Amino acid sequence: MANSLRLYLTCIRNTLEAAMCLQNFPCQEVERHNKPEVELKTSPELLLKPILICRNEAEKCLIETSINSLRISLKVKQADELENILTKKFLRFLSMRAEAFQVLRRKPVQGYDLSFLITNYHCEEMQKHKLIDFIVQFMEASFHPLHLVLWSVVNYFKYYAFLWTY
Amino acid sequence: MMAATVDFVEADNAEAIISRIEHKSRKIESLLKQSRPVEALKTALEGSPPNTRDERCKSANWIVVHRAIMAIKDLDALFSSLDPEYYDILMKYLYRGLSTGDRPTCDQCLRIHERLTERAGLGCILRSLADTMNTV
Repeated sequence: MANSLRLYLTCIRNTLEAAMCLQNFPCQEVERHNKPEVELKTSPELLLKPILICRNEAEKCLIETSINSLRISLKVKQADELENILTKKFLRFLSMRAEAFQVLRRKPVQGYDLSFLITNYHCEEMQKHKLIDFIVQFMEASFHPLHLVLWSVVNYFKYYAFLWTY
Repeated sequence: MMAATVDFVEADNAEAIISRIEHKSRKIESLLKQSRPVEALKTALEGSPPNTRDERCKSANWIVVHRAIMAIKDLDALFSSLDPEYYDILMKYLYRGLSTGDRPTCDQCLRIHERLTERAGLGCILRSLADTMNTV
C-alpha cells in the first residue's frame, strides 16, 4: 500500500521532471499577447501528448504540457459520501486561496479534484526541482489529513453513540 | 492525393498487420508457457506497427504487449537482457498501461516505469511525450 503510493509519486515526479521544459512563447494569433498554450489548445504543434497516470480506478493524475505551460490535474480517492464532502470542502478552501499558491488553478479541470497551472514565468522565478518537490509533497500530504479527519469524525460519533445508549 | 493513396494502402495493410499480431500472440503464449517472460516481451515489442493510424491494430498489439508485461515477475532479469533500442517503445506502452486505470496493470506498470527511468533516463520519457508520428 505504502509502496504503491511511493511508486505512483516517483512516476509522477519523473514525468514532471521530463515534461517541465517551458520557455517563453508569445501568442501566435494575437499580437503582444502571451497566453498559456495548454489552456487554449489552439495550435497542435505547441502541445505535447497528455499523459494520464492512474494508481487505481479512483486515483489519477493528468499531465498536459505545452511550449510555455504545464497543467497537472489530480483526482484523489473518495471512499464514501463523508470523504467526498470533506475532500470537496478542503479543496475548495485551497482553490479560493489560489492567488497565494501562485501555481494553483482556481477551478479544477472537468473530471478532476484539483489542478495546477505552471507557466514559464514560474519556472524563471522559482526553481524547477523545488516546484516539482512542492507538487509531490502536496500530493503526499493530501493523502493523509483527510483520512485522519475522517477517522476522528467517525470515532467522535461512535463515542457519542456509546454515551447516548448508556 | 498522396494522403488518399496512403489511406488505401493502410486499409489493406491493417488485415495483414492484425494477422501478424495474432501469429505473434500465439508465439508469445508458447514462450510464457516455457517461463521465458523476457523473450515474450521482446517478441511483443519487436513487431510493433508504429506507422499505422488504425486503432484496431494498435489495440490488438496493446493486448499482446499487456499480456507479456503482466507476466513479468523479475525486473532485474528483464533489464539485464532487454536491448536499449526497446526502451522507447516500452515506455510508450507503459504510459498506455497507466492510462487504463486497472489496478494490477497500473501496479505492474508503475514498478517497471521506475526501473526503466533509472536505466533509460528522462530522455526516454520526453521522447514518448513528444512523438506524435509513432504512437501506440
